Amino acid sequence: MPVRVLVVDDSGFFRRRVTEMLKSDPRLDVVGTAADGAEAVEKAAQLRPDVITMDIEMPVMDGITAVRRIMAATPRPILMFSSLTTDGARATFDALDAGAVDYLPKRFEDISRDRDEAKRQLCERVWSVGSKGHTRPAVPKTPPPLARAVPRTAVQRPVSAIASTPSSAPLRRGQVKLVAIGTSTGGPVALQEVLTKLPGNFPVPLVLIQHMPGTFTPAFAQRLDQQCAITIREAKDGDELVPGTALLAPGGRQMVVESRGGRQFVRITDEPGQNYKPSVDITFSSLARNYPGPVLAVVLTGMGADGREGARLLKQGGSVIWAQDEATCVVYGMPAAVAEAGLTSQIMPLPEIGTAIARQVAV
Amino acid sequence: MALDADDEILQDFLVEASEILEQLNEQLVELEQRADDTDLLNAVFRGFHTIKGGAGFLGLTPLVDVCHRAEDVFNLLRNGEKQVTPELMDTMLPVLDVLNEQFESLRALQEPPEADPELLHRLENLKRPDGATQVEETVAAAGGASEEAFVAATGTEGAPASVPQTAQPAAAGGDPDGDITDEEFEALLDALEQPGAASVSSAPAQSGGEPAGDEITEDEFENLLDELHGKGKFGGAPAEGAVSPAGEADKPASDEITEDEFENLLDQLHGKGQFGGVPAGDATPPAEAPPAAAGTTGNSASEEITEEEFENLLDQLHGKGKFGSVPGEGEPPAVPSQQAEVPKAVPEPPAQSAAKAPAQPSAAPKPTASAPPAPKPEARKAEPQGETTVRVDTKRLDDIMNMVGELVLVRNRLATLANVDESDSTQAREEMAKAVANLDVVTGDLQASVMKTRMQPIKKVFGRFPRVVRDLSRSLKKEVQLEMHGEETDLDKNLVEALADPLVHLVRNAVDHGIEMPDKREAAGKPRTGTLTLAAEQEGDHILLIIEDDGGGMEPDVLRSKAVEKGMMDEDAAARLSDKECFELILAPGFSTKSEISDISGRGVGMDVVKTRIAQLNGSVDIDSEFGKGTRLSIKVPLTLAIMPTLMVKLRAQTFAFPLVSVVEIFHLDLRKTNVVDGQRVVMVREKALPLFYLTRWLVTDAAGEPLPKSGHVVVVNIGTQQVGFVVDHLIGQEEVVIKPLGTMLQGTQGMAGATITGDGKIALILDLPGLMKAYGGQY
Repeated sequence: MPVRVLVVDDSGFFRRRVTEMLKSDPRLDVVGTAADGAEAVEKAAQLRPDVITMDIEMPVMDGITAVRRIMAATPRPILMFSSLTTDGARATFDALDAGAVDYLPKRFEDISRDRDEAKRQLCERVWSVGSKGHTRPAVPKTPPPLARAVPRTAVQRPVSAIASTPSSAPLRRGQVKLVAIGTSTGGPVALQEVLTKLPGNFPVPLVLIQHMPGTFTPAFAQRLDQQCAITIREAKDGDELVPGTALLAPGGRQMVVESRGGRQFVRITDEPGQNYKPSVDITFSSLARNYPGPVLAVVLTGMGADGREGARLLKQGGSVIWAQDEATCVVYGMPAAVAEAGLTSQIMPLPEIGTAIARQVAV
Repeated sequence: MALDADDEILQDFLVEASEILEQLNEQLVELEQRADDTDLLNAVFRGFHTIKGGAGFLGLTPLVDVCHRAEDVFNLLRNGEKQVTPELMDTMLPVLDVLNEQFESLRALQEPPEADPELLHRLENLKRPDGATQVEETVAAAGGASEEAFVAATGTEGAPASVPQTAQPAAAGGDPDGDITDEEFEALLDALEQPGAASVSSAPAQSGGEPAGDEITEDEFENLLDELHGKGKFGGAPAEGAVSPAGEADKPASDEITEDEFENLLDQLHGKGQFGGVPAGDATPPAEAPPAAAGTTGNSASEEITEEEFENLLDQLHGKGKFGSVPGEGEPPAVPSQQAEVPKAVPEPPAQSAAKAPAQPSAAPKPTASAPPAPKPEARKAEPQGETTVRVDTKRLDDIMNMVGELVLVRNRLATLANVDESDSTQAREEMAKAVANLDVVTGDLQASVMKTRMQPIKKVFGRFPRVVRDLSRSLKKEVQLEMHGEETDLDKNLVEALADPLVHLVRNAVDHGIEMPDKREAAGKPRTGTLTLAAEQEGDHILLIIEDDGGGMEPDVLRSKAVEKGMMDEDAAARLSDKECFELILAPGFSTKSEISDISGRGVGMDVVKTRIAQLNGSVDIDSEFGKGTRLSIKVPLTLAIMPTLMVKLRAQTFAFPLVSVVEIFHLDLRKTNVVDGQRVVMVREKALPLFYLTRWLVTDAAGEPLPKSGHVVVVNIGTQQVGFVVDHLIGQEEVVIKPLGTMLQGTQGMAGATITGDGKIALILDLPGLMKAYGGQY
């Protein structure tokens, strides 16, 4: 059964293009389109699609309101089509607050210079979100059938992980000297969920790596900062890592951590040849090389396997790796990669991660 | 990027975006009236946003650049961080013009032109909340910088701090400017290095197939080259003279290129006799060099002039480049195909009546499409390529299909009846009558339905008036309120397009000449704001368009003396004119009531052209005016150009058709009671002399020498502002006819508008009355 998609956009041109692209993937089926938010709410209830792609700027009812209504009435995973601009970022985060799972760039050049590649990526993301067949708010209470059907469960994994790598005995409380979180698809929402649970007197520094364009990260950091007790800033070259402050890697660039004179700073670089900007692997491995003391690295929802190699290095240096469980992931890709490589010491559902971190670092 | 006509995605984009653009045209002007209408602001924002999205999808960067900035500005506006001001609109409206231009290019399958960087800078400046802009403007003003310097400085995306620096004319300003020049130079060099770039090299192949188009473009190309030559040098010289320290590195390079390579390039292009349009596109970047160089040298007055002139030159080049290649590729193939369709439909006797109706849509485009068989430059400039697609509700198409089905059934029925033996003839006749009655209903419905698919609301034309009136009243410092009624009135697509120019002219005229300056109005006890009313309504098979202003009106005596002054008539004749006839004088060629020609309504076409255009559409113009109160123009045009109500007459054995719209009255006369005045035969009708012509003498071979008939039918018609009588042998009656163009051999025959097939299967010629008078009524 292909994933059933509802495409919402006020531009007929765009609806047709998106529909064409999605239909080119046999795993996807566009079951309906809507030209404004009100129609989208109606069609979402009527067609019960597996995933909805939603424009933001629409007449009658805008995309954000529509997300809110749909999530209240008939919750489905919703992907926002966003302009990757600063204003687009603001609207996108509003939509994520309203309950959308993630966003897609509205200009396809933003994904890739290559049309076919862009198409492939679009389909991949829609499919990976849609095939989960569940919505975020519903998750904690009732794991969806799809997740249950998979034999691998959250509990089994840590046991096997520990068994296979005995060197990684769980760290004692207070041993962790820094928390690093890497994530991609579904990350904006997941990060918010985790970080809001951390207390203002958080005793160690944090670094955050979220796959995101450069136009988005400043707004994202600002928004997180407003919502959380800890301080969150977009990292600037030369920023010092200090307790209670999370530095968010700026989009489109790379963030590495350096040690100088017993203090730790971030450097923002433009390392060529990386698939992801920022890349979780790059930051994680710089931590493995340069950070004195064990790190708690957490890999949250996201497509692909970024973070696995960095996590491997961290683990070799005595750090601990946690991953988000499959049931609560929008896309169980990056967490699966670290888990399957046997690097994780714990795999847990999203709502528990924040509290667990807070407990782990508490002095 | 190659633009492909068959690219469905591009076409899809064009259809949607054009609609949005049309809406934006209206919305933007509306916005000035209702500056704080959030819904409207949102709609405008979304409009730009959507166009940007589509353009981004297709990689049309020039469009994205413009829309993106406009979108940002409207985002500020809708968030209340900025206020809509007339000054802001003065920037935003040209933005729309740029977009329209870019769309024109896209429709012609050409790379859309980049927006004028200066406009983009202005947009860039608007992309700041109100407070910020003001501060920077004062800074710039304090620095004594010219606007260019300010724009250049902010355009480089530098921090606001850079403004005061660059405002100092000399060294500091050179830096950011130098950057721009470098970039532009890169582009320029690229362009020069590949004179045989893909687009150019493909041109000769195409031009070979189009000898006619080639000739025209060559001529134009000559002119274009001349212009480039002259101005190119001119632009280079001042730049040379004013070399400033900042300019150093770029200057010599620019010289080399403008003088030598540029000339070579032109020679090369010239020598090969390549296509006008395509090289023009390539020649544009070289032309940019001098202004760029001039920019580095600071801002003396002389350079500003050069820059401006260059802007104009560039515009010209853009314009010509764009349209130049259209005739070669787009239009000519389209015309023959339309012509081919029409004759095909005619000679099929069995399905004749069936063919009539479907043939209408293809026949209708003819009048406009055939007008420039070998496209003339001015025609091209006006409309490179009319809209070639129409959106039709699928329901309507289903209905048509349904009716075509009915038609086939009736055809079958008739075919059967034709074969039935005559044994029971009464019954057969009854059956036949039934079938024919059925046919009548079906063709009638089908005709109406097909017509409807071609119908478009007059809004398409009206939509541009708010902008026209707004711009005009702003530049004339008048206060004008535009009221529009009946915008939803539907009429034939071709008419909508054909009416656009005449109506624009009339509206401009009304604002320019009709409505007085606010002070004058106040002094006359009128409200300061003048009202211009545009109305459209359907009246039977006609559309009535009314353009009414509450301005100064016209004074008949002034018009009379003007006519005498212009030598159009003597004083007696002028005195005899009724007031109404006086007003109609303004429609006569060479008659302008304003002594000086303003560049607003006095540009090129006069009211006589309007009159002629409307007449070509089988329409009529009626003027009414009251001095001090205002003027009212009524235009009547038929709903469609394809079907025309006519008065059928007979001259000897041959049938002719008068367009019914021109016919005023018909009477039977004892022709011995005519007089000859001034060598012209006239007849007195209600105490007025009516010139009389014997059509038979003009149109029937060998009839010229025959004695005049003693009595006859006189058809009185309106031709221009005059009434004349035509004597005909017989009157047949009114008939709605489908206009068929004359074949290629007869194309352009003076006095004939086309032909049609009468009910009895014969051919009737449709008279073109103004043409007829020109061809035969020599002394008149």
